Amino acid sequence: MDTLFFWLLAAFAVMGSIGVIFQRNPMYSVVLLIVSFCALSGLYVLLGAPFVAAIQIIIYAGAIMVLFLFVVMLLNVGHEDALAGGMRAIGGAGPRRFGAVLSLVLLGELVWALSRLQGAPLAPRGGQAAASVGTIGLKLFRDYAFAFEATSVLILVAMVGAIVLARKERP
Amino acid sequence: MSLPEPTFNSYLILSGILFAIGTAGVFLRRNLITILLSVEVMLNAVNLTFVAADRYYQTVDGQIIVFFVMTVAAAEAAVGLAIIIALFRHRESLNPDSFTSLKW
Amino acid sequence: MIARFFNTLAGWGVTAELVAHLLIIVVVFFILQGMAAVLVYMERKVAAFVQQRYGPYLVGPRGLMQPLADIVKLMFKEELRPKAADTVLFYVAPLLSATAAFAAFSVVPFGADTDFSWLVKYSGLSSVLSWFGVTFTGLAQPIHLAAADVDIGLLVIFAITSMGVYGIVLAGWSSNSKYSLLGGLRSSAQMISYELSYGLSFAAVIMLAGSLSLREIVDMQGGYWFHAIPKWFLFLQPVGFLIFLIAGVAETNRAPFDFPEAEQELVAGYHTEYSSLSFSLFFLAEYVNMVTVSAVATDLFLGGWHGPFPLPAGFEWIWFVVKVFALLFFYIWMRWTLPRYRYDQLMEFGWKYLLPVAVINLLVTAGVVVTMGW
Repeated sequence: MDTLFFWLLAAFAVMGSIGVIFQRNPMYSVVLLIVSFCALSGLYVLLGAPFVAAIQIIIYAGAIMVLFLFVVMLLNVGHEDALAGGMRAIGGAGPRRFGAVLSLVLLGELVWALSRLQGAPLAPRGGQAAASVGTIGLKLFRDYAFAFEATSVLILVAMVGAIVLARKERP
Repeated sequence: MSLPEPTFNSYLILSGILFAIGTAGVFLRRNLITILLSVEVMLNAVNLTFVAADRYYQTVDGQIIVFFVMTVAAAEAAVGLAIIIALFRHRESLNPDSFTSLKW
Repeated sequence: MIARFFNTLAGWGVTAELVAHLLIIVVVFFILQGMAAVLVYMERKVAAFVQQRYGPYLVGPRGLMQPLADIVKLMFKEELRPKAADTVLFYVAPLLSATAAFAAFSVVPFGADTDFSWLVKYSGLSSVLSWFGVTFTGLAQPIHLAAADVDIGLLVIFAITSMGVYGIVLAGWSSNSKYSLLGGLRSSAQMISYELSYGLSFAAVIMLAGSLSLREIVDMQGGYWFHAIPKWFLFLQPVGFLIFLIAGVAETNRAPFDFPEAEQELVAGYHTEYSSLSFSLFFLAEYVNMVTVSAVATDLFLGGWHGPFPLPAGFEWIWFVVKVFALLFFYIWMRWTLPRYRYDQLMEFGWKYLLPVAVINLLVTAGVVVTMGW
């Protein structure tokens, strides 16, 4: 059962990501990315990390993507992009073609390198006690406390920065 | 019908594929928002690697790193989108090619 | 022959537990839809009572068939779609709303663990089954009465509630009309603003209970202090309960926070362009969300299925239903009593007043838990 779910979710994640880069309308790209994130959340559950799966949905699919959606709607570029020829721009002039070739090379390299490892079987998902929310919380607030506080300052700075950058100029 | 059982490798290869797709998106798309979306795809691929490694090594440090990566990604998406909004106000276009001159 | 059929089923791994789980899922699904119909009737009758008039009384005895008439009317309406609307997203949006609403209820437990021996005792089920050659005297181990009982139940509810925003924002955008777009944007901004206070209020409960599983939180609320006051978290966290209810009302876009779908201001907000079945899906999603918020509030603050006098085993869910209906009545009462907030007042309230109060509530709870060693 786990095997079937893995292949299904992996297929959804890959198809969603491919859809993100090949869709003309940025609204569809955002929706397909949400689908991809939900598939990844399922993969995290399969890997025995329910907490990470839940916060993937809460933070990524529930907050960051809503932000993207708002910006896409407010800037209203869906129609313009069709006029500018989003598809035509793919595989366009020199530097872009070079970039596409580089991505393919990266893909080939990664798949080749990773498949040369021995197929390491994963331990059964019985170690739930290790990955429970309590364990994560204890480690987060004891060993990684400084990083936690620094991240909170980072979010504050990002919030202030975003508000300042997106503000209309006073005439 | 018997599918091969997922091993640690399969998760790594999946994350490699997602990362390469994200890179392709950054190179190929001519829309600032979609470029940012491709960056998010790359970040998620890295998250998947961390969680898979976590399961293989039976520890929780990877999940904590994922927690931090998500937070930083949120901050970066917010600031990136604010920059895109500011750029759009000046040039009325989201094509990176319209921002090639250094003066406004 | 029928015995052979059951034997092949058992060979495939279909045990009594599996059948019980599937039955619970099916029952929860259909009861949620039935609750939406009951709420339609309840809303109209309570509204009428508040406004000193009769509610529906013509259709069926005392108007009890009114929801059926409403549903049939909605089904027979013409299914319109604006020409410039985005086809795929226009139809996906109500599906997303309804799915998120149902999925959020799936992790809410509504009764104590049971092994269905009461079903055997109070009904002739065992005799009917023995006629088929199947013996059933209750399950071997008690199962949890929830469609999907997970250890991180509260996080799952929060996650799926965050996903519910997409139905609204996509509906607003894909209708391609200015009222819908504005309504969709405002509604989703309101929902994500009040999600913060929602989450902080139940973070305080998690601190008191030490567990994310709703069932364990309810289990902690059994018993009495001084033999008189039930051990509900309502008495430990009164401010938290208020914050949760207010944020919950704002999350479900109900009055007094229903500016985004107010008739006088925005025609009908994000569901202006919808008709017939798509509209009824939004309608359904709103009522099921109300039920989910009431159910979670009951489990977290009002003691779930514990009541003044214990009911016979297997019927504890009756107390749960009574408490959920009390909260739903409160919801409907509030809608027809209070005037609605203007949009900027609504956002100001959410960010400047409710969020600081929720944070202070969390801090005080944390202080008490640490110093008194809860």
